[in-house]
Amino acid sequence: MNVVFAVKQYVSKMIEDSGPGMKVLLMDKETTGIVSMVYTQSEILQKEVYLFERIDSQNREIMKHLKAICFLRPTKENVDYLIQELRRPKYSIYFIYFSNVISKSDVKSLAEADEQEVVAEVQEFYGDYIAVNPHLFSLNILGCCQGRNWDPAQLSRTTQGLTALLLSLKKCPMIRYQLSSESAKRLAECVKQVITKEYELFEFRRTEVPPLLLILDRCDDAITPLLNQWTYQAMVHELLGINNNRIDLSRVPGISKDLREVVLSAENDEFYANNMYLNFAEIGSNIKNLMEDFQKKKPKEQQKLESIADMKAFVENYPQFKKMSGTVSKHVTVVGELSRLVSERNLLEVSEVEQELACQNDHSSALQNVKRLLQNPKVTEFDAARLVMLYALHYERHSSNSLPGLMMDLRNKGVSEKYRKLVSAIVEYGGKRVRGSDLFSPKDAVAITKQFLKGLKGVENVYTQHQPFLHETLDHLIKGKLKENLYPYLGPNTLRDRPQDIVVFIIGGATYEEALTVYNLNRTTPGVRIVLGGTTVHNTKSNLKSTGQFPRGSSGFRTAQQKQGELSSYSEVHKQTVNLNRRGERRRRARRPAQLALNLPAGFPHWPQVLEESLGFHACPYNPPPGSLLTPEL
Amino acid sequence: MASLDDPGEVREGFLCPLCLKDLQSFCQLQSHYEEEHSGEDRDVKGQIKSLVQKAKKAKNRLLKREGDDRAESGTQGYESFSYGGVDPYMWEPQELGAVRSHLSDFKKHRAARIDHYVVEVNKLIIRLEKLTAFDRTNTESAKIRAIEKSVVPWVNDQDVPFCPDCGNKFSIRNRRHHCRLCGSIMCKKCMELISLPFANKLTSASKDSLSTHTSPSQSPNSVHGSRRGSISSMSSVSSVLDEKDDDRIRCCTHCKDTLLKREQQIDEKEHTPDIVKLYEKLRLCMEKVDQKAPEYIRMAASLNAGETTYSLEHASDLRIEVQKVYELIDALSKKILTLGLNQDPPPHPNTLRLQRMIRYSATLFVQEKLLGLMSLPTREQFEELKKKRKQEMERKRILERQAALESQRRLKERWSDLAPRTANGEVASLRGGPAPLRKAEGWLPLSGGQGQSEDSDPLLQQIHNITSFIRQARAAGRADEVRTLQENLRQLQDEYDQQQTEKAIELSRRQAEEEDLQREQLQMLREREWEREREQFQAASLHTRTRSLDFREIRPFQLEPGREPRTHLAYALDLGSSPVQSSAAQKTPSPVSALEPVRVWSGPPAVGQEPLPQSTVSQQSELASLNPFEEEDPSSPTADGTTSPPAAEPASGPSACVLKEYNPFEEEEEEAVAGNPFTNPDSPAPNPFDEEDEYPCPRPSSPPVPGNPFEEATCTNPFEMDSDSGPEGEEPIEEELLLQQIDNIKAYIFDAKQCGRLDEVELLTENLRELKRTLAKQKGGTD
Repeated sequence: MNVVFAVKQYVSKMIEDSGPGMKVLLMDKETTGIVSMVYTQSEILQKEVYLFERIDSQNREIMKHLKAICFLRPTKENVDYLIQELRRPKYSIYFIYFSNVISKSDVKSLAEADEQEVVAEVQEFYGDYIAVNPHLFSLNILGCCQGRNWDPAQLSRTTQGLTALLLSLKKCPMIRYQLSSESAKRLAECVKQVITKEYELFEFRRTEVPPLLLILDRCDDAITPLLNQWTYQAMVHELLGINNNRIDLSRVPGISKDLREVVLSAENDEFYANNMYLNFAEIGSNIKNLMEDFQKKKPKEQQKLESIADMKAFVENYPQFKKMSGTVSKHVTVVGELSRLVSERNLLEVSEVEQELACQNDHSSALQNVKRLLQNPKVTEFDAARLVMLYALHYERHSSNSLPGLMMDLRNKGVSEKYRKLVSAIVEYGGKRVRGSDLFSPKDAVAITKQFLKGLKGVENVYTQHQPFLHETLDHLIKGKLKENLYPYLGPNTLRDRPQDIVVFIIGGATYEEALTVYNLNRTTPGVRIVLGGTTVHNTKSNLKSTGQFPRGSSGFRTAQQKQGELSSYSEVHKQTVNLNRRGERRRRARRPAQLALNLPAGFPHWPQVLEESLGFHACPYNPPPGSLLTPEL
Repeated sequence: MASLDDPGEVREGFLCPLCLKDLQSFCQLQSHYEEEHSGEDRDVKGQIKSLVQKAKKAKNRLLKREGDDRAESGTQGYESFSYGGVDPYMWEPQELGAVRSHLSDFKKHRAARIDHYVVEVNKLIIRLEKLTAFDRTNTESAKIRAIEKSVVPWVNDQDVPFCPDCGNKFSIRNRRHHCRLCGSIMCKKCMELISLPFANKLTSASKDSLSTHTSPSQSPNSVHGSRRGSISSMSSVSSVLDEKDDDRIRCCTHCKDTLLKREQQIDEKEHTPDIVKLYEKLRLCMEKVDQKAPEYIRMAASLNAGETTYSLEHASDLRIEVQKVYELIDALSKKILTLGLNQDPPPHPNTLRLQRMIRYSATLFVQEKLLGLMSLPTREQFEELKKKRKQEMERKRILERQAALESQRRLKERWSDLAPRTANGEVASLRGGPAPLRKAEGWLPLSGGQGQSEDSDPLLQQIHNITSFIRQARAAGRADEVRTLQENLRQLQDEYDQQQTEKAIELSRRQAEEEDLQREQLQMLREREWEREREQFQAASLHTRTRSLDFREIRPFQLEPGREPRTHLAYALDLGSSPVQSSAAQKTPSPVSALEPVRVWSGPPAVGQEPLPQSTVSQQSELASLNPFEEEDPSSPTADGTTSPPAAEPASGPSACVLKEYNPFEEEEEEAVAGNPFTNPDSPAPNPFDEEDEYPCPRPSSPPVPGNPFEEATCTNPFEMDSDSGPEGEEPIEEELLLQQIDNIKAYIFDAKQCGRLDEVELLTENLRELKRTLAKQKGGTD
């Protein structure tokens, strides 16, 4: 049930099967993303894959000494490209892998094109989804629905992605879906259809408890993607945006050239793997530790490096040091930027009110707080609109609803029309009329007591009190209490035991907050394994975009952080970032790869250079950072 | 594992609590238990549980140690996210997801198609062969036509009113042409021609592949000009126009295409591009590294720990071998990188990208593997390591004995049979044995006092057994067995170490006031000194490290081991008469007046009598003069503790500045430093004697030695080592090194020129000239 591993295994198998020799990987646009999520460039280089080509690129040269591994989605265009390719083969031998089920007729036309007998393998390897985290996958589809209905092309893509996931994990599940959503039902039926049609493929070893596929619709919980996030991964996505593990930092003021785009991948970045689910305050202290550690590692004072033992230590740690310096500068930059945005946009305060809107039922205080923040000039128009959206969603039917007043306030604040329109759009999208279950008011006595107690005790962290609705749904599901009238089974069979292996799919996109929830559920409920997927992974912006009305290209929103008390350490980190960047600038002018400055003794001005040269860095004119994913290459 | 049968001893491993069978792993034990003893008492289950827990604890400890190592090497000690429970990263291994192969389907369809295609091609080739089988130039065209017509029936002219390819109507002006290979008709524009050489190439290639009879080009050299049978032929006037093809064959585009494809296939079959050849070599080298490097690392680790399971020479040979392979990899990948760069039509960008990627991955490979390649101790360091290890063993034994005595008092029933054994002989060997002997011979005899038979601990005994096994296995040349044994040994030693430390901790707490305390303190003292020594070794071994890092320069590999001794000998001959001079001669090339500080530095111990230490040395032992570098070792002339620590201290100052001033290129300096045989494992010191002889100066470790141990301890402070290595860089440079250096500098110059750093070029050229001069001088000197 590890999706990253599943895809990685497929790719490894492809490479292994092609035997020794120089190889080229032929991919299409989507499979490029799929592969790049699980393999780094240096990793794949070690397996003798030296070139990465797009099947649709015209500028490919004939290289008969290469073996070609083709990993393609079984689309019409790809088959056509492949037929052309086989008619005039550019490589010596072809290993063809389709990421999904391919029709017999396509196989036949391919076979007929292969007059020179260059094809050695034709297989289906079901890596047809983007594996984001071990328990989180995405299909990178924005705007999968038109109104309440599926876009037919996206429906088939989603069906393919979902069935591929099931096949790659070797699960033949029972299906439940959210009754209130027509799209969920459609998707469930499509998946069922594929399972029936390809029943041979879905014959796996029976487990005692059959796995379960739960299909939900985003509109049931429109709140979660509207909130500011405070855990590392979610926050980075909310404030900076993660796209296939890559983060675009080019808008960061004063960013150095090589940090324009960074890669955050838990697979090869230990710090990130350890911290992606921690909240911003903890990250701050951890990054400080990282810095200190780094300071310790880097040669300190002049006389220090003069002693031979020190030099030796330096040499021995050099590659590590380099790697670490990359990690340090990357995370320091990212966290620095986050903290800048937090203070610039006053996000702490905004987030507090957001959480209040999402989790509490005190209308008058909420209204007051929203009004107060709307007066605050530091709050951006995006955040202001977002607060009103949350208010509108929560108090849609409240007796003393004063949404018109807030809309007035928005207009007075000078929030542009496009944002103001979003308020009604979101209510349309995820309002009470649409929701199948009640997001805000607790349903049963236990929950009411719980909330009462919570109100009594106060919350331990005001910024993270919100629990996505998914948590409750999954909790009920695991306990076997999920109501069948709201989430019916598809087909006559029902699950008698508690489910063990669960795949949750959210039409309209999941969020990293939900990913964290699932992660925690995985950890805390032994015997239960949950994988979360969505048509995409949302942040607020993408969520609003996918409701269909979000203006394109607006980048006006940014976010924030924990208790004010911790801020001191952030600004410190931030200061360090700036310093490091500045120093890095100087060093780069001297044509040296290490991004962070070393305080080198005066007597040894060339020492690192000597090292670099002797390590061969200099001699190799092409020296991409080892951690970089292969996609930027393509 | 004979001693496992010993009833009195403590056994460990995954033992079954009921039948005491040793099982290899926890899982095995569990299954064994379930199989064999499932029916038995419940009580035992509790026992096994506690056992399992213990085992787990031990395992945890092991894991923790590993983890610590890892943490040290990577990012360290961050608070990681741990709520407990199962991390999705830790989910149990999963098998490869579902797959489905369409290959058989594909092959079926392809086979049908291919058959068709192959038949087509073969038909064309056979016809082509027939068409070229006779002497076209000497045959009349009518006859040619007849033959051509016999090969394939021509399509009737009347049947084809339009050119099937371009659709133009045939007329008097737009005449019909027949394809000689398939008989079809096309117009002149759509007609293709096949030249005879091309036809021959195709036919002979298929002949070769079929290994049939020889090629048809047996045509005798026709002296006649071309024979145009135009007049004799009655066909038409127009035939004059098109009957000029006695050296080529008409055909349609389709046939030509097929033939061209065929030709391409033939070409590709025969052609292997350079890059493939180089790449294959590269991969071979990488495989070799993958094979050899782990072996070497094992050896080096063992040697650096002072173990004697491997021989130093063997290891250094292996090291050289591995390094050679690395250099080869580097050279090959560089060659691949620059492949075809100077060709006229520059290679396709993708070719270049491929070359860059190969180079990059080779660089990654070397970086990764080479850095794991630890250095070897020099011969003398190794001796000391061995000594140290022995001492440590001895110390442990003492501690253990004390612990045994202690525990004897407390847990008589358990250790009762051990006590008499431990008591014997050990004290004597401790008190009387080592110290005086040490003074004379550098602790070597300790090994005698350390008789293996009297090992009191079964673990120790086992260790010794295994050591001897290893020796035997090595003699028998069974490397794999050695490896497993080694593994075994290491585990045992780890266990032993742990046991000892635990005991020692308890003991030291208890007997703090007793007389033994003194000994303890002395040992502590010694330990500290060892530590210091170790620092030195590490410092010294740096040179080898840096050296080994420099694989950037590709040069024809010059380190023939056989050559090394000869040069040394040559030196020895020369040095016998004027060692100082020669070293001075060597130094002249260095741009600065480095000479002075060095002399000054090496002077103090001898108080300005320069010749004196030299002569003493040569009197002392021939061996010293055999190796020119060792002479300068400050420890030999100043053997008897005359070095006052302060003298050594300031010395490090000038030497450091020499280091700096020596020349602007550190790398060069590294080379020079690395070149000295003390640290360079490439050149096994041709020293027939044991290194101890060079060190009448005792390692400042034995307390009974006259003189203040503390003072001696300061002698061995790291500075001394530093200053040692500094001037060693200034030593007469070996010829070979000089040559290498010259090569290097040439490469630098080239590099600098390319990058347009003219000032650097100048500097380098000057440097090069000096080096060459030195080389010439040196050659003159040795001849």
